[in-house]
Amino acid sequence: MSAQLLDIISSAAIFYIVAAGLLIVFGVMKIINFAHGGFLTIGGYAALVTTELGLNPWLALPLAALTGLVIGALVEHFVVRPLYARPLDAILATWGLGIVIGQLITIAFGREVQFVQSPVKGTTSLLGEDYSLYRLLLVIGALVLAAGLAAILQGTRLGLMTRAVIMNESLARGLGINSGLVRFASFSVGSALASLAGALITPLSSVDPNMGVPWLVNAFMLVLVSGTSLVSLAIATVVLGGAQVLISAFWSPILGSLTIVVLAAVILRIRPQGFARE
Amino acid sequence: MDKQHVAWSGIISLGAALMIGGSAFAADPIKIGIPVGLSGANSVVAPSVVQSAQLAADEINAKGGILGRQVELEVADDGSGAAGAQKAFDSLIFQKKANALITMETSAARNAGLPIVARGKVPFIYTSFYEGRSCSPYLYVDAWVPDQQVAPIVDYFMQKKGAKTFFLVGSDYAFGRGMLDFTRQYIQKKGGKILGEEYAPMDATDWTAIISKIRAANPDALVTSTAGGAPNVTLTKQLRAAGIKALYGNLAVDEGTAKGMGTDAEGIYISASYLTSIDSPKNKEFLAAMKKKFGAELKTPNDLSVPEYEGVYLYKAAVEKAKSTDTAAVIKALAEVSFEGPRGVIQMSKQRHAPLTMYLGQVQGDGSVKVLESFKDVDPGNQCPNLK
Repeated sequence: MSAQLLDIISSAAIFYIVAAGLLIVFGVMKIINFAHGGFLTIGGYAALVTTELGLNPWLALPLAALTGLVIGALVEHFVVRPLYARPLDAILATWGLGIVIGQLITIAFGREVQFVQSPVKGTTSLLGEDYSLYRLLLVIGALVLAAGLAAILQGTRLGLMTRAVIMNESLARGLGINSGLVRFASFSVGSALASLAGALITPLSSVDPNMGVPWLVNAFMLVLVSGTSLVSLAIATVVLGGAQVLISAFWSPILGSLTIVVLAAVILRIRPQGFARE
Repeated sequence: MDKQHVAWSGIISLGAALMIGGSAFAADPIKIGIPVGLSGANSVVAPSVVQSAQLAADEINAKGGILGRQVELEVADDGSGAAGAQKAFDSLIFQKKANALITMETSAARNAGLPIVARGKVPFIYTSFYEGRSCSPYLYVDAWVPDQQVAPIVDYFMQKKGAKTFFLVGSDYAFGRGMLDFTRQYIQKKGGKILGEEYAPMDATDWTAIISKIRAANPDALVTSTAGGAPNVTLTKQLRAAGIKALYGNLAVDEGTAKGMGTDAEGIYISASYLTSIDSPKNKEFLAAMKKKFGAELKTPNDLSVPEYEGVYLYKAAVEKAKSTDTAAVIKALAEVSFEGPRGVIQMSKQRHAPLTMYLGQVQGDGSVKVLESFKDVDPGNQCPNLK
């Protein structure tokens, strides 16, 4: 039983890491960034470049985040910003951008599955289980990430402005808050988080041009039931991720893979605001 | 030259009559159709298959062709699936008028193409290993089926490593389930015990729950048959991260993918009819010729591409024996002819399938595959008892 418990906690942590960037972009810009999977893939390939240069595998994390930040900033400025007034077109643009990123990576690195050096190997003993050390580190990573995001949102001026834009963008603008800057910052940070997540999951995932796709679907559903709150995202990852682990373990992994999508749809039917408070 | 001249004037004057009489002219090439997955799931391996066919065609043409006729390849993308295969087979058989189809494809694409082959009545040599028991009067197979591939791994685990308990993991599709169905029966027949059998969706990347079950069951050995590419890699990585130490036999990994997985692949047992390290003059000749022809563009030859090379030569031998490209005669001859290629002497003599020498290999730390044992001319079993 303790194996399932560890599975639930570590799966929730991985989902949280993968979905956090998507949620921030959704909260501020009210669009789902379908290029999120593409940014995840960029992070995976940043890790690949780190391996190929023979650098310390841990360096993949800052390199991935930086690459995501820069590309995210460029994309926000040249692709998303002109479409502020047309949110549906902006969503389509990010979707197309995801395809473009995948193809560019295919051209640059080839279609095949690549090998990335993992920073840690092996298992450690916890709750009477020999459990994957890397998955446990991801739990700590998710906690650090959540604490960091909370500190920025609650403790800095940019965080305050961001919360204001999330609550009511027109009102915030009326009060003199530069919502364009907030949008720019959150899209860049969201992209950086996606790439960081991509680098973080490479020891568990394959690195290929489509590596982001399966993650995007689950992250998308998790954000839909979480609304704009990082706390409800944490609850959603534990509940839905936990349900996926339990159904896979005691029923069938084939049904397990549907769990998040089906449960999210049911939750939204019963309670349209999902796990958000209002 | 003179002969060709006559032929060309014949083409001009006879016009439509050529459709029937065409094969009588020496200059008329023999067309080999290759519907293959240039896009989709097979896109990683398809280029190596096409290269194999090109080398075979070049070699044959340099030596005067087949019955004095040059070989011409017609490659069409089947999109790795059924819908694309229908278009590819249609265009190759009815528009390009291919004399034969020789190719490696997914099972879905093959099954979609077979009715079109039956309508067009051309010989079809399938060069991909597959789940077995695909039978058609026009179909021959020169690659392995589960009966040939599974036994070396299971026998080695049970006899040499003393494994008694097994856990099976696969992707949820025809090949994954077909391979493991056979594996389960084979293990039980040999007195082994199956502790668990689990399937994940074809595109699954998260194996968390299955790995916890494996850890709880603690089997002596693990046999997996996932879809190629990403699922195979994610499963292996997550198994290694979880510290699972059981013997690991992988029915779906090829040499190239194993190399791509780096140290995570170390220790995996694989079973194949072709490994680049096969120590035979024919294989060395083949590898040297491939390298010379394609240079830096060379895709590493593998268990899916080498049967294509041999398939083209087997067709050549059959046409020469039949002394024509007439379908009925070639189909009859295909079972009787043999060809010595990189994998050894291949003859599709057993119910349209070929007894093959199988190699048990283990992936080494540097990504190379060390041959542990070879099993000569493993019988494909009763694949198509109703076909002669």
